[in-house]
Formats: sequence, structure tokens, C-alpha cells
Amino acid sequence: MKKLTYFPGCSAHGTSEEFDSTLKLVLKTLDVELEDIPDWNCCGATSAHVMTENLAYALPMRNLVLAEKLENTTMGIACASCYQRMKVTKVHMDENPELAKRINTTVVEEGTYKGTVDVKSMLQYFYEDIGVETIREKVTKSLAGLKVACYYGCLLTRPKDITKFDSPEYPVSMDQICEALGATATEFDYKTECCGASFSISNTEVVINLSGQVLAMAKESGAHAIVVACPLCQSNLDMRQPDIEKHQGVKYDIPVFYITQLMALAFGYPAGELKFPKHIVPVEGALANIGKILPVPEKVKKPIKAVEAESEDK
Amino acid sequence: MARVGVFVCFCGANIADYVDVPQVVEEVKRIKEVKFATEYKYMCSDPGQGMIRDAIIQYKLTSIVVAACSPRMHEKTFRKALSDAGMNPYLLEVANIREHSSWVHQKDKKAATNKAMDLCRMAVAKSIANEQLHEISVPVTKRALVIGGGIAGIQAALDIADARIPVVLVERSPSIGGKMAQLDETFPTLDCAQCILTPKMVDVASHPYIELIPYSEVIELQGFVGNYKVKIKKKASYVNFKTCTGCGACWQKCPVKVANEYNMGIDKRKAIYTPFPQAVPNKPVIDAEHCTMLLKGKCGICAKVCDKGSIDYTMQDEIIEREIGAVVVATGYDMWDPTPYEEYGVGRFKDIITSLEFERMVSANGPTNGVPVRPSDGKVPKNVVFIKCVGSRDEAKGIEYCSKICCMYTTKHTILLHHKVHDSHAYVFYMDIRAAGKGYEEFVKKAQVDTGTTYLRGRVSKIYKKGDKLMVRGEDAQIGQVVEVEADLVVLATAVSAPKDNPNLARLLGISYDKYGYLSEAHPKLRPVETAKAGIFLAGCTQAPKDIPETVSQASACAAKVCGLFAGDTMKKDPMVSSINNEYCSGCQNCLNACPYGAIVTEDVAIGHGSKDLRTVAKINEGVCQGCGSCVAICRSTAITLAGFTDSQIINEIVSI
Repeated sequence: MKKLTYFPGCSAHGTSEEFDSTLKLVLKTLDVELEDIPDWNCCGATSAHVMTENLAYALPMRNLVLAEKLENTTMGIACASCYQRMKVTKVHMDENPELAKRINTTVVEEGTYKGTVDVKSMLQYFYEDIGVETIREKVTKSLAGLKVACYYGCLLTRPKDITKFDSPEYPVSMDQICEALGATATEFDYKTECCGASFSISNTEVVINLSGQVLAMAKESGAHAIVVACPLCQSNLDMRQPDIEKHQGVKYDIPVFYITQLMALAFGYPAGELKFPKHIVPVEGALANIGKILPVPEKVKKPIKAVEAESEDK
Repeated sequence: MARVGVFVCFCGANIADYVDVPQVVEEVKRIKEVKFATEYKYMCSDPGQGMIRDAIIQYKLTSIVVAACSPRMHEKTFRKALSDAGMNPYLLEVANIREHSSWVHQKDKKAATNKAMDLCRMAVAKSIANEQLHEISVPVTKRALVIGGGIAGIQAALDIADARIPVVLVERSPSIGGKMAQLDETFPTLDCAQCILTPKMVDVASHPYIELIPYSEVIELQGFVGNYKVKIKKKASYVNFKTCTGCGACWQKCPVKVANEYNMGIDKRKAIYTPFPQAVPNKPVIDAEHCTMLLKGKCGICAKVCDKGSIDYTMQDEIIEREIGAVVVATGYDMWDPTPYEEYGVGRFKDIITSLEFERMVSANGPTNGVPVRPSDGKVPKNVVFIKCVGSRDEAKGIEYCSKICCMYTTKHTILLHHKVHDSHAYVFYMDIRAAGKGYEEFVKKAQVDTGTTYLRGRVSKIYKKGDKLMVRGEDAQIGQVVEVEADLVVLATAVSAPKDNPNLARLLGISYDKYGYLSEAHPKLRPVETAKAGIFLAGCTQAPKDIPETVSQASACAAKVCGLFAGDTMKKDPMVSSINNEYCSGCQNCLNACPYGAIVTEDVAIGHGSKDLRTVAKINEGVCQGCGSCVAICRSTAITLAGFTDSQIINEIVSI
């Protein structure tokens, strides 16, 4: 049994509760035990890190310091924003011990920051620590027939120098996991475009526009559903979808799954346990494709045969 | 008693703005050996040198100190002024108060002045112990080595050979011609590259003074200016060039197909091949990495079909040596690999190609008979987007510098596209249009009018696929909006980058290179073709990105330098070399290891006068010694002296401050 320090973040207890609960199902199958950080606090997104440097670093650092008291060497984070705050803090502290010492004075009661715990998003943990092959082995019910557009959003692989994970422009880790589950990942060029993020509340029009483009491109790619690993992406693409449809005059009807929901489904958990009723866009239509035989892909036309070099004609 | 003259230069404002020159003059006048001191605006100019000449005679000076710029700049100039006044030129000392003081202490005039005074005091003290030295004469091997057979190497070799100086031209690939041989037409006149290059290639092969060694690499260079020894590795070609007639039977029958480098991998060549039909020499080589006969011992078809019996599968690499006096390095450039531009989908989208791939497509002898096509489906593209500065001027993903040629060749490409596909439309995303050169701006303007190309000022931020089109999204900074262009084909004007092997070559030749891998010239303005190592010159893009006219000019300049070097039967060399005092030398040979130039050997000398017993001591080869002083520092018995930098000179300097 592997152990993993877990930072759920606030959304896991609210809007993305289905992410949290299916994550726990998946990890049960993968034989990983989660250990919550005792007395964890807010990561600081999205207000603290634009207000003061000290608060922006001190909030995540308190979590890091508390996590160091557990024995595990890795902290897994479900929410992409929490991951971002924690990872940025860790990288900056490790690069600059002077800064770490200064920030540490704010959270000195919790202990001294040592930098011994690595920070990973759950996607990164699945991809690097569990591995695509292990995930494939646990599949009992293939998702063959389901075509998904994997959407990473802006934070899971960026900035490159901080995350040091996958590609910042065209990541493939989630695609590979979905393929391992039996699903087909479509060629989706908008996988790292912005969804509009927290403008959902303050300037909804931005989200309508940006998430609208993501939905349009996902549809264009032939996907039945979108897969995400970020609570904010999920809520923008799913919750705002009816508004977007009204605005654009197009019916998308694309459910937005957390990667863990699909993993749990493929690992054999009954659909009733996967909190699908929490979705705004109904999932049944997309899930009905599972088991349907995919049409044989059209043969790719070969480029015209290049003209043989002149000398060969002699 | 020494009589020293001190001449302090203003260097216009370069020194005078930051160093109080009159104060420096007053200060040095207080030194008792200084019999004359003065200042002048430009000491290197003729009136300035005249002041030195006159003072030497009038004040009967015994040594001269010039406080001015770096000795690397004008030491030779001032030495000549001494000679002209009948004085031994090595009685000169230069105090570098520009690079070492005024330029680096611009914020503190007082400190800069104090430092300049210290530097002058040291130079005066050193000059008091200066001795008369005399130039060393070394013999010259009048044969030049040219490394690289692109247009730079070809031009340099032809110009040197035309002066009846033998040239050894070493080319790594099976044919000379380089990148220029891959071009279709050349800006700004649209001359056919083949038509102006291939005759020169033939001239190289037939020139009585040029020894062409293709498919070879330089692996070692020893010696010194005028007297280098080079080792060249001739890679096994498995074809006897003496008997081969280049008939082509072998490559027609060869069953192995390999991506064709000449056509940027767009089509295939065989495992036995000549790079292109106009290759020089027009003899095939076997690619040992792909030939099944060499890899697995199966096939042998080329040997069967060759009537001349020229195929020899047992051929081995061969090392040959040549004695040469000078080297021209002309190793060209590499095209920068655009893989880091992930947002463009480089590698994922087949219909994104580099400009050199486009060049091959539109070339009359290219893989698609001169018609650009989409690699994905072979269709002729209508809307083509050209993106400039891919890699260039991009600190985040590419390189900081401007590659200089992309603006012009992209303009040329819009014209070629227009010529080949009449109903096409070109879009160019650009940052600036840099068209500085004779006829260049006119060329760009005319192309814009004639082709109706849409120029969009801004960087492309994303390319994505929509159906079978590529959507190119970028900023049009002139209207301040994001625009999207639907493209059939996207052409990336990738940067010019230094050859990957340049650092290795530089180490092998003992010359320096910059942070990008370009080989460094001795002075960016006044010695642009020389390297810091005497007798080694640079031509073409190996020094920095440049176009064909500039490359050819630099190659011809190299030829002039080589001819100048070989003008006499012997060569003069500075006398600042080490010498060994045999009485003191213990024969420990530490200096042999310390010498970076291999200038020290050992010799056996008699233990004492008339004795027959021998002992080993070190011996300096004056021709090889560069006067670096490493041996002096490491010698435990103070047996080594470096002329011009003797212990007493150095101690004088130290004591003076």
C-alpha cells in the first residue's frame, strides 16, 4: 500500500465534490492511501497571490511545512489552482533559501520549512508515480467507443519552468490515460487555451466567449465529452454551457468529466457512485457511446509520390 | 640612466571624459626617469605619432610609454613610430587606460584618474628595464587549408589558388556546394543559384592548384602560423574514385531507400548515392549506416552492376597529413530546429514546413519538380502563411540575434510562390522588415506590389487545425487586434544557427567561439576575418549569419589575408618568447605539461664544459612559443625567462605602486 499526502483544497468540499470522491475510489483500486494534511489552510488562490508577496507565499508554505511532518515525500493536489500556488511556492523557496527564511518567519509556529516534500497535481501523480501501464491493468470495463477531448487548461503544465511536467502547449498525459481506459482521445488543439477562469463570476461574458471556443473546438474534434483535471475548468465548461449555447445559438450537449470519474467507471465502479447527477449537462448521451463499435477510420491519403531525383531516371 | 617619454592619449572623448588626462601627465612628470611627457587628442594619428618620433630624437629617449587604448588595438602602430625614429620598437610599453580604466569606471572620474596614473607608473617602471629585442624569422609553408566547401570555402579556395598558392579543400559531405546548392533562386536579383554556383564548383575540381578532399574531416591541427600540420580523416566511400566514371548504374539498382538530405527528407535517395545530379565530385559514396551489404553482408548489387569494379566493401577510413601555412574556416551554418514552438504544432501538423523545405519544393531540380505541395495530401496550396523570426529575436524559445537573411529570403519565397502558383495568396507575419543591402529595399517593395502579399505585423501565437486547413492566429499590431488566417501551408522562416560541431572544431584548431557557437573574429570591426590565432581566418556564416554577397566578400578577404601572409619566404614573429637557462634547468619537465602550444621539448646537454656525460634540459621552439608565460610561472628553478616580461620588469611594475 502506497501512501500519499493529500491536499483537497476548498473546491473538493464544494463544487468539485465529485472529483474528490471519485479520486478516492480510484486510489482505492490503485492501492494508494491518502493522508490529509492536518489542519490545512487555504492555498491563497486567487486573491492572496495578487495582494502581497508575503501572504502569497506564507499560506502555501504553512501547508508545505505541515506536510513535511508526515512521512510521505509527495503531496498530491486535486485542484489545479491549489497545485499552482503550492508548486510556485516550493520552487521559489527551494531556489532562494534567503526568501524561504524570510517567509518562514510568518509561519514559524508550524515549524521550519525544509523543502522535503514534492508537490504534484493528481494528473502528474497518476502519470509519473502510478504509470499509464498500471492504470491499463486495472481496467475492468473498457470505455471503447467513447471519444473524449482532454482539456488541461492553463495551470496544470504551466509555466514550464515551474511545473516541469508534460508540454506547456500540447500536453498528452491525460490523453494517454484516457487511451489506457479504452477511450479515444481526439486531436484537440484547444487543450491549453484559457477557459476564462475566475471571470465566471465577475465578468461572465469573458467565460461565455472563451469557454465557448473550447466547446466549439471540442465538438469540431469529434469528441462526445470533455475530460478535465481542474475544478474551475469543469465548472466553466459544464455550468456555463447552457448560457454559451443560448449565446451562440448552438447545441453542444458535451458533458465535462473529471478524469477520475472516467477512471472509476473503467475500474468497474457502478455509475451510481460517480456523482453524475451533480453535472449540469447530462452525461448519459455521451456514456451511451461506450461499447459502440467505432467506425473504421478513413484511410489517410498518402502524399503524392515525390518525383524521383533526376539522376535516377538515367 | 633611463630617459623615458610618456604620451597620454585623449582618445577623443573616450578617455578624456572619464580620466583627467592633464593631471596624469603632471603626475608622471614627477617620476625622475621621465624626461618628457605630453598629451594629445589622438595619439595614434599621424601628428600624434609625429610627436613621439620628434621627442625620441629631441630628448634622446631610451624607452617610450604610450597611455592609450588596449595594446591589442595599437601596439603595432606605436612600435612602428619608434622604428621610424630609429629606436628599437620593443622599447615601447602601452598603458591601457581606456579598456582598463576610462571605459570601466565611467561613474567615478577621480578613481579612474588614479587608476590611470597607477597604470602609467607601472608602465614607466617596466619600460626602464626593457631591453632591445629583435623579430624572429620563421619559414613558411605556402599552402592553405580551407575547411568547408560551401560558397565561402569555394570562393576562398579559388581566390587563393588563382594566386598560384596550393590549396587543400576539405569538405565533410560527398560533394561541395553547401547550402547554396540547395537554393533555387537568390535575392535580390533572382539569379538561379545553380547557374552561378555550379561553374565555380567545377572550377574547384579542375583547378591545378586545388586539392579537393571530399567526404573528409579535419581531426588534428598542430604547429603555428606558417608551419601547421593537419591530419585529415578521409571517410571510407567504398567506391574507388579513380576508376569510377559516375555512370549511375549502382544507385539506380540499389534497393535501399534513405531520406534524402539534399531535399530536406522530402524524397528518398539510395544507400549508394551522389547528393545531387550536379555534385562535385560526381562520384557516389556508400552510406555505411544504411547499406545492407555493410550492415548485414547481404545484397552486393552495386558491385555486381559496376563494370569498372569500383565498389570496394573492405575500404577503411584513412588518415592523411598535409603541411600547410594558413587555414580558412568556412563551415557554414545549420538551420535552427523549430521544435520548441509547440504552440505552432511543429511536428504534429504535416503542412508546416521550414523555409529550406519550401526552397527545395520550388527548386527546378527539387523533389516536386518546382511546384510547392502540401505534404499531407499533395495538393497545391492556395493560401500560404510565411512566419518570420521563428527562433530569431526570441529570447524565450530561440536565440537573441537577428538571423539577417530571413526577411530577404521570405520576400523571395513570396515571389517564387506567385510565379509557381498564380492564383495563390501569401501572408507574411513579421516583426520588422530588415532590408539593408544594395537593392534590397527595392526588391522587397517591388515584391509587395507585384505579388499582392498581405504583410501582418505581429507574432503568431497559435496554429490549430480546422478541417484540412491550418488556422494561424496572431496579432496584427497595426490595428491592435488578433487576426486569424486560414492557411493551406505554413512556412517557418527558421533562424540561422551556428554549426553544432563548431565548438569541437574550435577546440581542435585552438580558436575561440561565442555563446552561440559562432567562431570569433579577432576584432569586430578592424579584424573581422582573422581569428585571435595567427594564420587562421574565418569566412561566411561560421562567424555570424550573413547572405551570399557578404559571404563571398569575406571569403575573398580571407584569400587576400592568406596571400599577404605568404608574400615572403619567411615570416616575422614577435620576439616575446621564452628561453631556458640551461645552468638552472633541473630537467623536471613540468613546463612541458604547462605549455598549451606544445612549444617545449627536451634536449640532452653536457653536464659541464668538456664533459661527456649528458643531462636532460627543456628546450623552447621559438616558432611555436606564443609568449603566454605559463612555463615561467611553473618553473621551480627560475630557469625560464620570457623576453619582454622578465622578472626585473615585473618586479619594477609591482614596486612602482
